[in-house]
Amino acid sequence: MRSSAITTTQNIADSILQPVLTPSTAIDIKNVTVSFKTAKGSYTAVKEISLSVQKGEIISLIGHSGCGKSTLMGTISGMVKPTAGDVTANGKPVMGPGPDRGIVFQNYSLLPWLTVYRNIYEAVDAALKDLSKGEKKELVERNLKSVHLWDHKDKLPGQLSGGMKQRVAIARAFAINPSILLLDEPFGALDALTKSNMHVELLKLWNLDNREKTIVMVTHDVEEAIFLSDRVVVMNNGPAATIKEIVSVPLDRPRNKRDIVHDPVYMNIHDKLLSLLIDKFSIDDIKD
Amino acid sequence: MKAKVIKLGWSVMYFVAGMLLLLGMWDMVSRITKGEIPSPLATWDTFKEVMKDPFQNEPDYKGIGIKLLSSLARVGIGFGLGSLVAIPLGFLLGSSRIMMNIINPIMQILRPVSPLAWFPLGLAIFQDSPKASIFMIFICSLWPTLINTSFGVSNIPQDHKNVGKAFGFSVWKYIIRIMLPYSLPHIFTGLRLSIGVAWMVIVAGEMLSGGIGLGYFVWEEGFNGGSVGKILVAILIIGAVGLLLDRLFTSLQKRFTYAV
Repeated sequence: MRSSAITTTQNIADSILQPVLTPSTAIDIKNVTVSFKTAKGSYTAVKEISLSVQKGEIISLIGHSGCGKSTLMGTISGMVKPTAGDVTANGKPVMGPGPDRGIVFQNYSLLPWLTVYRNIYEAVDAALKDLSKGEKKELVERNLKSVHLWDHKDKLPGQLSGGMKQRVAIARAFAINPSILLLDEPFGALDALTKSNMHVELLKLWNLDNREKTIVMVTHDVEEAIFLSDRVVVMNNGPAATIKEIVSVPLDRPRNKRDIVHDPVYMNIHDKLLSLLIDKFSIDDIKD
Repeated sequence: MKAKVIKLGWSVMYFVAGMLLLLGMWDMVSRITKGEIPSPLATWDTFKEVMKDPFQNEPDYKGIGIKLLSSLARVGIGFGLGSLVAIPLGFLLGSSRIMMNIINPIMQILRPVSPLAWFPLGLAIFQDSPKASIFMIFICSLWPTLINTSFGVSNIPQDHKNVGKAFGFSVWKYIIRIMLPYSLPHIFTGLRLSIGVAWMVIVAGEMLSGGIGLGYFVWEEGFNGGSVGKILVAILIIGAVGLLLDRLFTSLQKRFTYAV
């Protein structure tokens, strides 16, 4: 009788203290399964995935095309509803998209009929309703300047290069000042040189913000994943994808793109990720 | 630049050739009917006569300009009202599968009805023949705009919808910043088809309703021993105005089509 009372009290105390004691958990994914109804019946994209992301951490979800990494990220952004399991972001259950989570989409998703400036302004205006007009304009200006696009503010997205479009999309996500930033194959469509610059620019923005933003990125680029992340989450091939392995990247920041590749730690991680993802390394590996 | 001039030169040549062919056939018909159908030259004289004082506004005689403006006004009102109903309704049908399923059968039944069939109904409702012809224009200019608008809205790419969803756009913001701009080229296609139908229908409408207008002018000249030349002049004016309206909407459509 008495012991059960204690247990109950303990439970209540735990439930109150839990968020206070572990304030560093930004995202908590518990046993998440996502199934879609298709013409051929039910298709399970990801199955019983659990993953916890710390505040200020940068993690990458990596895997082959169609392995459900974008789907998993969709459950964090709230664009995808899990069939089973729970997702918590900043201590609150995810019920749908919200201004605490900024999204950078795979194909930029800028509105082609709005100028660069209006694309960001409309997002800020919708997401941060309580700000005054002046504050909103200030936010747009600051974020456009931080990605060096202020001079292009009156252009339409159709007049921009891929890299510039992606910078607009990143500025848009940063402008609403989300504590969690979700990037869905953000640099996939860019050429190698532009991509490399964008990595550094992204880290600069993250740094300017005292490394407090949590970043989750979907990618299939191994080098990109290592350079940017604290942890790389490798996923199995779908359907019913699960996490194959989580690889830590204990490299000091700020990282230097040129030097890092010679670091034995980097090389080890690189090899490990390649073996996890690829099973053919030479023509000798192709069996007839 | 030079290539452009050459291209323009050729299209002028084609236009002139087409016109010459038309005039040639017309002249031949005129000869075969022994002048019952006036020749292009005789029609030109009639045209000059009709155009002498186009805005003459006597109680017993209205100039051709007055008639044209009165027809245009009726088309404008009917078409304008039709568009005001068709565009918002198109938004609704395009964004809601359920509404589309409910309204679509109604649309399929009403759309093929001849415009003229609506005239007596309009007369019964409004007890006024000019209003009945506006009603007829209204009904006929609904369909193309409605169908094209809802088609545009139902094809908004997921990417654009995601933007609205991710940043929490209000319904109003979604409509004016995503739905409207995306479907604008489709809406203009619909409006262009609608104004074409409306302009075609107004002639028939005015034949039934009487009063002042190009349609009634054709009818009057045809029946009250009037001149075939005047009918031909009216037909050419109707055709030219129809072409101008079409060009106007084509240029509006181009103006509002954005580069992706």
